[in-house]
Amino acid sequence: MATNYKFKRLNAGREYIAGNYHTPLSLSDIAQYAHMSPYHFLRSFKDTYGETPNEFLVRLRVESAKKMLITENFSVSEVCEKVGYISLGSFSSLFLKQTGMAPTLYRRKLWALSAEAYRFPSQAIPACYAYHFLGK
Amino acid sequence: MITSIAHATIYVLNQEEALDFYQNKLGFEVGDDMKVEGGFRWLTVHPKSKPQLQLVLAEPKEGPMFSKDAAEKIRNLITEGAFGAGVFETENCHRTYEELVAKGVEFIQPPTKQLYGVEAMAIDNSGNWFSLVER
Repeated sequence: MATNYKFKRLNAGREYIAGNYHTPLSLSDIAQYAHMSPYHFLRSFKDTYGETPNEFLVRLRVESAKKMLITENFSVSEVCEKVGYISLGSFSSLFLKQTGMAPTLYRRKLWALSAEAYRFPSQAIPACYAYHFLGK
Repeated sequence: MITSIAHATIYVLNQEEALDFYQNKLGFEVGDDMKVEGGFRWLTVHPKSKPQLQLVLAEPKEGPMFSKDAAEKIRNLITEGAFGAGVFETENCHRTYEELVAKGVEFIQPPTKQLYGVEAMAIDNSGNWFSLVER
């Protein structure tokens, strides 16, 4: 486990990712922000948080993209750019890997299922909760 | 074979206030914050190191599962401290206790040696009890 001082530096790096995930980020930039070498930061981050900085970054970007695709009317290219990707191809393949669907299909499918515009359908949350809170 | 638990529910009086507590006092991160059809807000938080465990912050409201009377009773029980949010683990109970006290978290038991480790007990801003355990 990280010492308190090391944990604070790791946390600073993590907060940096969380606050800047929509911009291009490199491991060396983040590690520098945490005052650690890239290798040391990567290894300690994974040991402490159970995922690598890049896995954390991708998770934040995909979650943000999912929300934007459903609750906003941006094009997929705009969403790609807004969550920090330059290449639409990279964004689409990462999105597909994380959700099992390409961004366009994800939006089309969830919009078709929802009874209200720009809202997630009840099927987007676990069925026991949907039944409990929404009666669906 | 069941491999893990993915979601657990914490009933809270107000989602926005509970989010402030779990995010800004306990240091949890938001997992999902989705506007779902029917005006329902699907809000989950998780400890930074455990994104696989989502704690659903839900308000007991009149709806398919709760009558108006039942929802009111649950809200009263939360306020009275009848519900527990669970046990959160920490690597250093005394240090985390000091940090949370400084942030204004209300404790009902300071770090105390138990058979299973060092444990402190606190209350969230709805009234749910939770333990902080160092094993």
